[in-house]
Amino acid sequence: MARTHHPSSDTSRLAVETRRLTRVYKTRRELTTALQDVDLEVGEGELFGVLGPNGAGKTTLIKILVTLLLPTSGQAFVDGLDVVTDYKRLRSRIGMVSGGEQAGYGILKVREQLWMFSQFYGMDSTAARKRIDELLERLGLSDAANKQITGLSSGMRQKMNLVRGLMTDPRVLFLDEPTVALDVSAARDVRSEVRRWMREDPTRTVILTTHYMQEADELCDRVAIVNRGRIVAEGTPRALKQSVDDDVIVDLQLDPGTPVLDRLRAIEGVGAASVREEDGVDRFSLMLADDGVLPRVMTTVEGAGRHVSGLVRRQPTLEDAFVKLVGRSMTEEEA
Amino acid sequence: MGVAITRQWTGYAAAVRLGWAVSSNWTRPILFIVYSVLRPVSMALILAVMYTVITGNAAATRPYLAFLIVGTAFWSFIQEGVSEFATGILEDRGRYHILKYSYMAPLGFPIFLIGRATSKLASAAASVVIVLLVGTLALHLDISPLRVDYPLLVAACLLAFVSVIAFAITLSMVLLAGRDLHGYGEIMAQFLYLFSGAIFPISVLPGPIAWLASLSPLPYWLELCRRAIMHGQAYLMFPNLSDGEVFLRLVAATAGTLLLGYVLYRMADRRARRLGYIDMEANW
Ligand SMILES: Nc1ncnc2c1ncn2[C@@H]1O[C@H](COP(=O)(O)OP(=O)(O)OP(=O)(O)O)[C@@H](O)[C@H]1O
Ligand SMILES: [Mg+2]
Repeated sequence: MARTHHPSSDTSRLAVETRRLTRVYKTRRELTTALQDVDLEVGEGELFGVLGPNGAGKTTLIKILVTLLLPTSGQAFVDGLDVVTDYKRLRSRIGMVSGGEQAGYGILKVREQLWMFSQFYGMDSTAARKRIDELLERLGLSDAANKQITGLSSGMRQKMNLVRGLMTDPRVLFLDEPTVALDVSAARDVRSEVRRWMREDPTRTVILTTHYMQEADELCDRVAIVNRGRIVAEGTPRALKQSVDDDVIVDLQLDPGTPVLDRLRAIEGVGAASVREEDGVDRFSLMLADDGVLPRVMTTVEGAGRHVSGLVRRQPTLEDAFVKLVGRSMTEEEA
Repeated sequence: MGVAITRQWTGYAAAVRLGWAVSSNWTRPILFIVYSVLRPVSMALILAVMYTVITGNAAATRPYLAFLIVGTAFWSFIQEGVSEFATGILEDRGRYHILKYSYMAPLGFPIFLIGRATSKLASAAASVVIVLLVGTLALHLDISPLRVDYPLLVAACLLAFVSVIAFAITLSMVLLAGRDLHGYGEIMAQFLYLFSGAIFPISVLPGPIAWLASLSPLPYWLELCRRAIMHGQAYLMFPNLSDGEVFLRLVAATAGTLLLGYVLYRMADRRARRLGYIDMEANW
């Protein structure tokens, strides 16, 4: 897919900057380090993706940047303002939308609630109404504008919340998993609207979290991969994929049988291995140092009594870069 | 500056509409009658009946009956107002999942909170009038709208209004900074009830508590309401103080409430952000 948006050439202006940003949650039983020494620089005009598995610390990062949560240590600046000390001035310049939640006063109508929020942002009332209608239309929600929010499907609600984030024209917009739980076409609508919104004004910046590899790959100018509170890699999707260019990536499909993942990982020359079950077969993704490793893989598989139903060599994806960096796939639970 | 104030005003007006639509009961007459009429009226009448049974309605005790009715009438304003702030904020967080967005908005959060509670405050004010009306008719209290000292009443109510709002805003933030504090808003209102001189003079409280109660603006406010409405026919808590002296104390106590409220609000706000409670969802 063609990337429709490019980072502004003026990299001196940073939309987001963090310095050794750390956040520790304290609960009665334990301490959880959700972010550890995160250093991040996002230029004005970038569409920046934060990619990571469940519990990586994505939401925590967003919450700190939008002034809802204080960091334990380190610093963060958004549009040049310190999120801890200058949070009041910052609030008119940012917006946030969380995907996986059903925010809204059920009793209000869609347009009514959006208008109320526009007033909390000090927008001119008439201009706000116009803007709301325009955005509702673009997201295919015109028919729902006068419906009560209770009557919306969860996907429609999510789109309505995106309108809330877009309508106030924030300098930096934070989207926490904006397409989670959306069907394919709704997710496409959301992605294209975000891109279009950025094109309207090339100094607008979007920080988006996701755990969909493909979304990050297609949509983002630059991506940071986070795992367990740390940034493990950062760069354009293309550069991240190039980091696995030297490896041979094969997809291996096996009929059900005894588990072999650990045995495969133990083979010399296997850089990383992951598996997911699909339609009753196990699909392994293997990263091999070179072609010479493949025979050893086949011997191991046959030794375990597993039947190979498919084998292809393919181009690297972001997922492969992730697996190589983190040592496991995005969906795989940590040991 | 002018623009900024206009924006705050339109933001406030939108929050009023929000509160009206989401939690006001004006639009549902049955609810309005139950909460704003029946509840405060029956509260006042129960007290009156208990009181009459105990004292046998002796003529000498009539001033105390007037004390009681005026106290409970104005009290219902606090009861409704304070608990509306507290319920509103916790509902927005736990039930509608939308508090974080209002909190993040450039409109000052306290202004949002006041707007959100305004229609409830208005219905609470209506119930004050209703209780006084019913009290006058049912208990033959000698209240005449023509003889009310309106300047005193309005000035006292304005100051009390400022204190109650400040208290309610701070209480909301304190509740937000706590984990699971549903229902505490109502409890706090009940707690204040005892210390406000609404149903008995604060001098009957044990020494240190009476002293604490005397720092609150509420007893002075209620005293001034009784003086303004009953012109000497209600029992007085501070018979040795002139109207002006009571008023001065109300001013001082209001200033103290504002200052303390501000400090506590800042602390609670910081705590809520430190613990990540602004968008905590586990408590509904
Ligand atoms: N309020 C909290 N109290 C204690 N621990 C928390 C709290 N919020 C998050 N955590 C922990 O911090 C870590 C990071 O959580 P966070 O929600 O930031 O991850 P995430 O990347 O957004 O995950 P997901 O993809 O599931 O949304 C997790 O281990 C989580 O359990
Ligand atoms: Mg998250």
